[in-house]
Amino acid sequence: MNWRLLFERLSFLTIVAGLALYALWPWIPGTRAIPTRTLVVYGFSILGEVMSEGIFPAFQSEWEMRRGESLQFISSFAGSGTVTNQMILGVPAEVGVLSLELDALRLVKAGVLRGPTWRQLPYAGVLNRTPFIILVRPGNPKGIHGFSDLARPGIGVVHPDPLTSGGANWAIVAEYGAASRHSPDPAQAGYQLLLGIWRNVVAQAASARAARTQFENGFGDALITYEQEAIRDLARGRLRAEIVYPRSTIFSEHTLVVVDKNIAIEQRELVEAFVAFLWSDPAQSIFVKFGYRSMNETLNESNLLFGHIQDPFLIRDFGDWPQAKREIVDAIWKNRVLQEIGQ
Amino acid sequence: MKTRRRRTSRKTTGLLPISFLLLVLLPLLLMPLGAIYIFAARGGLGHFIRTFSQSDAQFALRFSLLIAFATSLVNGVLGTFAAYVLAKYRFPGREALSVVVNLPVAIPTVVVGTSLLLLWGPLGLLGQFLDPMGVQPMFAPFGVFLAHLFVTFPYMLGAVKPVLDELEATYEEAAYTIGASRWQAFRFVILPTLRGGLFSGTLLTFAHSLGEFGATVMVSGNLRLRTQTAPLYIFAQFEAGNIETANAVAAVLATLSFALFFVLLRFTQRRSQRVA
Repeated sequence: MNWRLLFERLSFLTIVAGLALYALWPWIPGTRAIPTRTLVVYGFSILGEVMSEGIFPAFQSEWEMRRGESLQFISSFAGSGTVTNQMILGVPAEVGVLSLELDALRLVKAGVLRGPTWRQLPYAGVLNRTPFIILVRPGNPKGIHGFSDLARPGIGVVHPDPLTSGGANWAIVAEYGAASRHSPDPAQAGYQLLLGIWRNVVAQAASARAARTQFENGFGDALITYEQEAIRDLARGRLRAEIVYPRSTIFSEHTLVVVDKNIAIEQRELVEAFVAFLWSDPAQSIFVKFGYRSMNETLNESNLLFGHIQDPFLIRDFGDWPQAKREIVDAIWKNRVLQEIGQ
Repeated sequence: MKTRRRRTSRKTTGLLPISFLLLVLLPLLLMPLGAIYIFAARGGLGHFIRTFSQSDAQFALRFSLLIAFATSLVNGVLGTFAAYVLAKYRFPGREALSVVVNLPVAIPTVVVGTSLLLLWGPLGLLGQFLDPMGVQPMFAPFGVFLAHLFVTFPYMLGAVKPVLDELEATYEEAAYTIGASRWQAFRFVILPTLRGGLFSGTLLTFAHSLGEFGATVMVSGNLRLRTQTAPLYIFAQFEAGNIETANAVAAVLATLSFALFFVLLRFTQRRSQRVA
């Protein structure tokens, strides 16, 4: 008998068996309490943290107190456009939180939702909001004070990709609006600023969250993003950047959709309880704590880090999202700015 | 005397190309791998424990292992069977079939994922009929399993078929002459010669399944605690800026792959020694 060979074989088998045991452990009866209920939530990128660390645990304990049932959240977070595409392809999302209403309208068009059902929810389905701001390197070495400074030659801008990111669409409308709102020739002024900024884009990421990761890893001089992203890190003393509040910028409004066709009858009550919870004061306070601005203005006073914006605007000021998409994102950014840069 | 001189001369002339190779490989392969471990270790053991005390990290690793086990098992049997049929029988379209079964090596994995979605997804060719019945293979663990079967199919085949091709038909025929059934001939004559191929094929399948990303990201829906595999977890955490968390899982995955590779290497070395 070759003892060494035997030893090698035995140790190999032990490792394989150990790995299999580890992998199967939670499914071996008696090793843990299996959660009785699950809820599938898809959300746009920056929402991952507040949901996983704040909202989910809070609702889990509330549901357990109310019903005595343990609840497990099955969740996925990516760019708003990506999430929307996944929902159109048929992922089993019961609740979705999208960065912009435009994505929710795409769900209606694809037949995922019966109609604009979210408009019957509180605040027409807007869960929370946050203004768009500019993040710059510590000390603001390039002297950036507003969107117009981003168009200066020699500035590197990190921008999420409008194809997959809701935040990128908000950012484009923010840039356009900042230039056009008080201009005698709005369309031309907006076009000029977009062209200037997009000439300076050095990196594009699939989501707002990924764009920030790129910025943190040293790309560019400025990042256009949600205030929430920056506030959250500021609160924890982890922000290695400075927030620049543009004089004039947009408040993004994040839309919640309930995907009725994916909700089994026995899930209905749970989903409705969760949705109602999201607009309750405790849940909205969690959003505020994580840097989102609540639709309930009085709650916003508890977060002292929120900055002041002189001239805020909303998508409503451009009609609605379909109109803004058509007239700003498509007609000006996609058909003119991108063409011009591509040449 | 002669042999020794040849050996030494080989050594000295080899110095330049060897150092050049190392110089190329260092930034290309060795340093990136080292970076994983350095970053993973930077947070200290505490960070490792924190990462693995999260249920989604644990789940991702477990789910990846389970899928890898299941894939190796099914493709082990299916791949061997395919190799047996292709090596043994002559039939029209055999050449075409051998190309087809090896295709997954050449197709980008993202395309594999897309094609599975277009077939089994709720809007897909077959999926649209299954969906009303409440059957949904995509965005579920089974969909991930299907994708891994597809992507890793050729590895088992590639390890087993060359052995079968070389196997003299006379042994098998001899078995038949003494009254062996087809199964007995397979079990006692063919299977023992295949052991090595089966072993390395299974390990390769396992390793590829463990690291599969492109097809999985398309078909899984990337759901934490349900369909998120370890590579998807790493990517999601990295994108979210949690680099240390991503690295902790990456280091475990890399270590597992190294271990697998080491076993495979030792095994093939031993075999070539035995043959020699």
